[in-house]
Amino acid sequence: MDLSSIKDAYRRYARHYDTVFGPVFAAGRRMAVQRVNTRPGQRILEVGVGTGLSLPDYRDDARVTGIDVSPEMLQVARRRVEALGLAHVEGLVEMDGECLGFPDDHFDAVVAMYVASVVPHPDRLMAEMQRVCAPGGDVLVINHFASTHPLVRRAERALRPLSRLVGFRTDMELDSLPELPDLHRVSVEPANLFGYWKLVHYRNGAMPLGEGGGVPEVQPVDQPG
Amino acid sequence: MDKRLLDILVCPVTKGPLILDREHDELISRAARLAYPIRDGIPVMLEDEARTLSEEEVEKWKDAR
Repeated sequence: MDLSSIKDAYRRYARHYDTVFGPVFAAGRRMAVQRVNTRPGQRILEVGVGTGLSLPDYRDDARVTGIDVSPEMLQVARRRVEALGLAHVEGLVEMDGECLGFPDDHFDAVVAMYVASVVPHPDRLMAEMQRVCAPGGDVLVINHFASTHPLVRRAERALRPLSRLVGFRTDMELDSLPELPDLHRVSVEPANLFGYWKLVHYRNGAMPLGEGGGVPEVQPVDQPG
Repeated sequence: MDKRLLDILVCPVTKGPLILDREHDELISRAARLAYPIRDGIPVMLEDEARTLSEEEVEKWKDAR
């Protein structure tokens, strides 16, 4: 899957995205925004901001920048920012999550919702998200990961040829998100729809002593058995 | 374009500084020799969409910022 097929898919989606996908992804979006809304005045980057569905949910004192590769989706986001007067949105930029135009260590939190299955190289995406995230900052990824249930897994694999058309991979493994040095997985939680989507929370930088090993990891609900 | 946004953007290729060309609505990266367009107020920071700078242009922006 390459950038132009992603752009094609989301050009088709732009007009109806909110109606069709909005409700499906709403719970997960709210959950991720709550996680980064913890402190005043935070600099937040949303990778794959799309039509800007999450933008109204950030704190008024946050400083949010949103990027996306689809100009059609960004135009919807811009109209939303203007219509709702969202002063905490500092900018919307057409940009590739795998090649970010921001300085190192710039943001307090970097969020990517429903993006990791879309981009051609998830490892580059994660490396760039970490690069622009300040030490001690949060990196949050919401994504659909391949089911552990054999039947569901088979169905997801069967759908793989459609991925160019729908614009995302249907069978991405959670473990295929790369492990990067000093990017520590804090938790994995079901985000919505019976855990079909999961919220993965990372912290950037060295972990405090005693916090490294014992992190709670929520098991997928569809264990084979 | 929002001034706050301009202050934080860097060239996605070199991660170096950008210069705003107000006349042509472009963001200039001398190090990458690229001009990124600004369309409908939204900067397009994609290498494939950028225009390659001529030698004269690279020279012209030498002393900016």
